[in-house]
Amino acid sequence: MNKIETLCLLCSQPLQSAISWKLLLTKQFQPTICDRCSAQFEYSSTATALYQYNDAMKDFLHQYKFLQDVALAKVFRQELHARLKHEKATIIPIPMHPVKQRERTFSHMEELLKAANIPFIQLLEKTTTETQSSKNREQRNQVASLFRLMDGAHVEHKEYFLFDDIKTTGTTLRHATKVLLNAGAENVKSFTLING
Amino acid sequence: MTYKGWLLPPALRDFHEGRIWLKEHTPFSEEDIEKSIKNKYFHIIEGIQKEPHVKCNRCHNEDLQQFTTFDCSKCLQQCIYCRHCLNMGRVSSCTQLMIWTGPRAMRARKHSLEWEGQYTVLQQQAANEMLESVKGRRFHLLHAVCGAGKTELLFPTVHYALEQGMRVCIATPRTDVVLELYPRFQKNFPQTIIHALYGKSPKQEGYAQLVLATTHQLYRFDRAFDVMIVDEADAFPYTFDETLQNAVQQAKTESAPLLLVTATPSPKLLTQYRNESYSFIPKRYHDRPLPVPRFHSLWRYEKSLRRGKIPRKLKQWTGERLARKEPFLLFFPKVELMKIATPLFQLLDDSIMAVHAEDPVRKEKVLKLRDKEVPGLLTTTILERGITIKNVQVAVIGAESTIFTSSALIQIAGRVGRNADFAEGDVVFFHHGITAEMDDARTKILYYNKKGFLS
Repeated sequence: MNKIETLCLLCSQPLQSAISWKLLLTKQFQPTICDRCSAQFEYSSTATALYQYNDAMKDFLHQYKFLQDVALAKVFRQELHARLKHEKATIIPIPMHPVKQRERTFSHMEELLKAANIPFIQLLEKTTTETQSSKNREQRNQVASLFRLMDGAHVEHKEYFLFDDIKTTGTTLRHATKVLLNAGAENVKSFTLING
Repeated sequence: MTYKGWLLPPALRDFHEGRIWLKEHTPFSEEDIEKSIKNKYFHIIEGIQKEPHVKCNRCHNEDLQQFTTFDCSKCLQQCIYCRHCLNMGRVSSCTQLMIWTGPRAMRARKHSLEWEGQYTVLQQQAANEMLESVKGRRFHLLHAVCGAGKTELLFPTVHYALEQGMRVCIATPRTDVVLELYPRFQKNFPQTIIHALYGKSPKQEGYAQLVLATTHQLYRFDRAFDVMIVDEADAFPYTFDETLQNAVQQAKTESAPLLLVTATPSPKLLTQYRNESYSFIPKRYHDRPLPVPRFHSLWRYEKSLRRGKIPRKLKQWTGERLARKEPFLLFFPKVELMKIATPLFQLLDDSIMAVHAEDPVRKEKVLKLRDKEVPGLLTTTILERGITIKNVQVAVIGAESTIFTSSALIQIAGRVGRNADFAEGDVVFFHHGITAEMDDARTKILYYNKKGFLS
């Protein structure tokens, strides 16, 4: 996963890395996509997400999650790293159901954090293999608890930081927050890569 | 008493014969696949080969840059996957590829060729030469100018091969060409099962003895075809991507003849095969000379367009086409510049549209031009080949750009005057300086005309 990319991960055009003082003197990740592709992504105006959902993001998610292109975990590593490196709360990525994870062969949330070099822990377990995207708003609001604590997980009385890929109605994050609070967490914040 | 054993479903055989396929992606039930494997109907190989060096066993990619290693949750090991052919379903170390080795599908020997056209002398000669090459299982290069009737030339060869019980593939680098060829072959070979394969093509039933496919789809075949024809063999990305050329070799049987068809062969191809099996048609089927491109300076056209103004000469040219109600194509070197120019042209006529490679309704827009619903289209090089529109007029804007190679320019000029009733038309290269490629294109077209009309 640490190899240097010479072609843009999204459009396969040669990457021309312009050398700048910032790049030389600060510790930065090598870029993995070209300027034209990165201009397609729209930053989110909210504080709880990095990007706004758009066509470019739709294509990205399709290639990353559906076509299982793990290499794309690196696309947002610089931005994620910058946003999360000073986070004091313990970061928990939203888990996948084990069956789903075996099907996809990787956990897309964990790979994003690994690529950005951000430490995280896991306390939760997904209880169903159903996806939120297959349901409408009402169905989403009515489901039974989506998560439970992992066996032997110890929730401390402190702040936790949940991380998910996309937030549409917020059901997933609400369920996870509730489980953690019930288990004795002091406070739970949440953050997503994309605002839906 | 019911039969308790297992019978091979014919559909499974028909689909998998000749194919190299991801085990997880088979459209058949797990039970049937397992039974087939137990009967040794499949040869199973690993998706990514590690020795002597890393290689994707489907697309034969060996470029290390195009592989990614990750911790796999399925096999709980470090897995490698190939990004080169990712769009066809991911091939990784822990996936398996299946190659059919079981009984062969039934091949029909009855194929009718229902074509009632007439060949010109030159066409007939080339068609005969090609047929001889297939009979002798030799390589053949067919070099014919745009609009010479290359597709019709293939009919006797394809018909002969099908009747011999051979499986035939016509591959081309462009999806548009597959879509153009498919209905023509369906019409002329009504008894033959023909499949058209391209990205996102629909599922097709039965065993196709004739397959029309993009060269990319050939990654999914293994020693399947007894005759391999590559149409538009000079088009991007076939000449550019070596793995595609390997795919063509891999998809045909070892002794199968390879026939290349092109209007603009590379010098390399020409020197290699000119003295062997080589047919050359310098004349169009309707026996009229190729339209010769005019050069017209259009200094600083880019600046002008960016300032929101169509250069005078270009505006005049477009105005004339609109006044005479002639359909036209305007070729742009860059999508970006085309997008800037589109609203400006729409001020001249608001139904003018633009198409580019990623346009989801590309096909529909071209059809609209053909049906005269739109007066003209702005386009990138994507429409340089494979399209035929009656009485179309063509202008290239910025013909000096590096993307317009001489073969691209010859192809673009070849859109004009293809119909016998409208054998003439205007091809103009608007430029900001004349390049060697532009000169080369013009010289070649003049040479073809000289060759064709000398004797």
